[in-house]
Amino acid sequence: MVNAIKGMFISCDIPMAQFIINYNASLPASHRFIIHILDNTHMFVQPHVADMIRNAISEFREQISYEKPT
Amino acid sequence: MSISKRRDKKPRRFFIRQSAVSSVYGFSFSITLVRKTQSHLNHTTAFASHFQAMGHGDKGRPNKKPKFGKEDYKKANFEDDDVYHLDDPDDDDRYGDKEGGKRDFSKLELKPDHANRPLWACADGRIFLETFSPLYKQAYDFLIAIAEPVCRPESMHEYNLTPHSLYAAVSVGLETETIIAVLSKLSKAKLPKEMIDFIYASTTNYGKVKLVLKKNRYLVESPFPEVLQKLLKDEVIGRARVVHEDSGNGEFTVSKTAGELGSRHEGLLNEAEAAAAAEERETHSFEIDPSQVENVKQRCLPNALNYPMLEEYDFRNDTINPDLDMELKPQAQPRPYQEKSLSKMFGNGRARSGIIVLPCGAGKSLVGVSAASRIRKSCLCLATNAVSVDQWAFQFKLWSTIRDDQICRFTSDSKERFRGNAGVVVTTYNMVAFGGKRSEESEKIIEEIRNREWGLLLMDEVHVVPAHMFRKVISLTKSHCKLGLTATLVREDERITDLNFLIGPKLYEANWLDLVKGGFIANVQCAEVWCPMTKEFFAEYLKKENSKKKQALYVMNPNKFRACEFLIRFHEQQRGDKIIVFADNLFALTEYAMKLRKPMIYGATSHIERTKILEAFKTSRDVNTVFLSKVGDNSIDIPEANVIIQISSHAGSRRQEAQRLGRILRAKGKHQDRMAGGKEEYNAFFYSLVSTDTQEMYYSTKRQQFLIDQGYSFKVITSLPPADAGAELSYHRLDDQLALLGKVLNAGDDMVGLEQLEDDADQIALDAARRSKGSMSAMSGANGMVYMEYSTGRKLAGQGQLKSKPKDPAKRHHLFKKRFA
Repeated sequence: MVNAIKGMFISCDIPMAQFIINYNASLPASHRFIIHILDNTHMFVQPHVADMIRNAISEFREQISYEKPT
Repeated sequence: MSISKRRDKKPRRFFIRQSAVSSVYGFSFSITLVRKTQSHLNHTTAFASHFQAMGHGDKGRPNKKPKFGKEDYKKANFEDDDVYHLDDPDDDDRYGDKEGGKRDFSKLELKPDHANRPLWACADGRIFLETFSPLYKQAYDFLIAIAEPVCRPESMHEYNLTPHSLYAAVSVGLETETIIAVLSKLSKAKLPKEMIDFIYASTTNYGKVKLVLKKNRYLVESPFPEVLQKLLKDEVIGRARVVHEDSGNGEFTVSKTAGELGSRHEGLLNEAEAAAAAEERETHSFEIDPSQVENVKQRCLPNALNYPMLEEYDFRNDTINPDLDMELKPQAQPRPYQEKSLSKMFGNGRARSGIIVLPCGAGKSLVGVSAASRIRKSCLCLATNAVSVDQWAFQFKLWSTIRDDQICRFTSDSKERFRGNAGVVVTTYNMVAFGGKRSEESEKIIEEIRNREWGLLLMDEVHVVPAHMFRKVISLTKSHCKLGLTATLVREDERITDLNFLIGPKLYEANWLDLVKGGFIANVQCAEVWCPMTKEFFAEYLKKENSKKKQALYVMNPNKFRACEFLIRFHEQQRGDKIIVFADNLFALTEYAMKLRKPMIYGATSHIERTKILEAFKTSRDVNTVFLSKVGDNSIDIPEANVIIQISSHAGSRRQEAQRLGRILRAKGKHQDRMAGGKEEYNAFFYSLVSTDTQEMYYSTKRQQFLIDQGYSFKVITSLPPADAGAELSYHRLDDQLALLGKVLNAGDDMVGLEQLEDDADQIALDAARRSKGSMSAMSGANGMVYMEYSTGRKLAGQGQLKSKPKDPAKRHHLFKKRFA
């Protein structure tokens, strides 16, 4: 019989995929959200994590961008 | 869901947000945007990626306010004539809205002929200058004298009036009334009252009193006898006064001096005022005791009597110190800006102390030599290292008629002494300030340096020398006049303001873009090459246990290596250029150089080998690329090079970026080709390779700020090497990349760290700044190692085993008793 899992499909570039994988691995086992890594740029994750990933990425990006002090 | 990576960095994101935010003007803005993007980013792929970014980039936070300063905003929009309507008051409103409604200039009253006037003056001391105005040249000369340049892009300059800059203005001979009169002449609107008050408040007392060294007597001079009376009432100064029998007690000596010759700003005033300024005027003076000079100076500082003294040297009337027989050779033709900087220094026939700022390669040495040959007294020239000592000695012989026996170098290798009673000594800061024991021979020379009265103290690269060393050098040597030369008056530790009081005010600062247009320095294409991290390297980069290796990981990123290899091949084969590759990271430097089989120079390379490599680089057709660590940042003179590739850099040091650019600024080729509209648009290239999504992006933007303020723009290249370059470049195959990764991970922490050089005060300052921010030191990769070293020391001390435990002096070993006594 076919099993269906509800989830979300993420497509992104290679470094960001690595970032998400690393982020996933840093969480305790019960909170991990990646269901399947499809290839270098695509993955299948739990449906509710979109905002969490967005926040993590924007925080990461904030750290590596410089703003001129005024 | 699609998570698009935001590739755009702040400045670019800024345009984008404008187009998204502005509703009414949205259309015209986005047109501006496209035009601007096209002109600045003629690289097609870069352009495409920008467009992409326009689509996705600002989705993340469309409501966030633009964080960029007003000048950037103007820079972005003022270049387009359609948007630029200065006489439309609504225009200002619109800008005001963008900045959160704080600025409303709609009530600003414009003068009827405002279109002919080039300045905008704001109440907070900021001044904006239109560079396309016909009066630009005169206005620029004037502004650079009275205000601090903040940002100087192509069409619009921003300046800031500060007490320091006004002090400098007064010291080059401008008077309060002149400053205000010329400013209001040039301004489009009536001068804000706040600004006039500010100028009065800062300048009324400046420049009223001068300290002059005349015939070896220190004289306090002033055209205003009442000021001198006031000074004499002060106890310290009153006691320091020397009274001669022949002149009546309490009377001042009255003499006549010529009015200002050098300031041409009078041309902007009406004739009557100009005539008044040029008239001879009376000065009153009294003599003070040479041993009290320091105290008197201190009493006059703003925190006491508030009459800061200007120091001048009347070298023409100095008959005590012997003249040095030297003058400029006829072929030494100072360029217009060199003339101008010298005229600021010798404005009234006397020599003023101060700093002259010229870009690297614009001929600072000629300015120094000219100043020395105008004063024609003994001159002490200080440089940063032995190599530049040789270069300075060479420059003196090249440009002036000085005889070989009148010039001598004093370094640890060569200890020469000049014959006769006047001459030029070239040495390093370290040699003079050195506190330890010296050899007998150098002790004699240093004694001579200390006892002599120098006409001119010439200081090269003043920005690199820590303040305490300056104090020492200046206190050790007696000089009538001090001239500091530098290209980059920025430091990460904000110690620049010290120079104002140690040497003197900034006399002149050249505009980089004007020199480029005049063909005096090379026209450099600056580019930032974005290299995406490979999957494996980025995975390791993100791991916590690799936090110390982060720098090594993003520098050794195979995509970066390939981009570097591609650029080297392109410039060597297609254009026949000479290339310098800079890497701060020693591990990366060796890896790159070995793999590409190119010569390299770093701290440990011996002097002989360095000379050999540089000689080969200059003359041989086969050696077109050389790898340099940060020893090459300052003063290694490689005039042949015209391409720089920077693969790793020293965190966010703006000075390093500018100094590195300076290596290729010396103009090459025929003069007419370099002029605006000449054959070659760009004749030098500056590439900075950056691994995207890493800490390097942060540093890279920070480093560029200084050059951006000088009006340079950075082009972003995203697709290097081109997709079809494939296998001919290294690290094409995954196995090779993995082998490289293994090498990086297995290298010891000390191997992947930064090269440590002596006397790197900026480094310490950067580390100190970073220590205050916890998150940054964690992100800083191998830089964090330095941080760790501090903490290890402290930890051990905390355990009380090693250093800090206070010992009972009685129990100390007898060998050490003396030392601590």
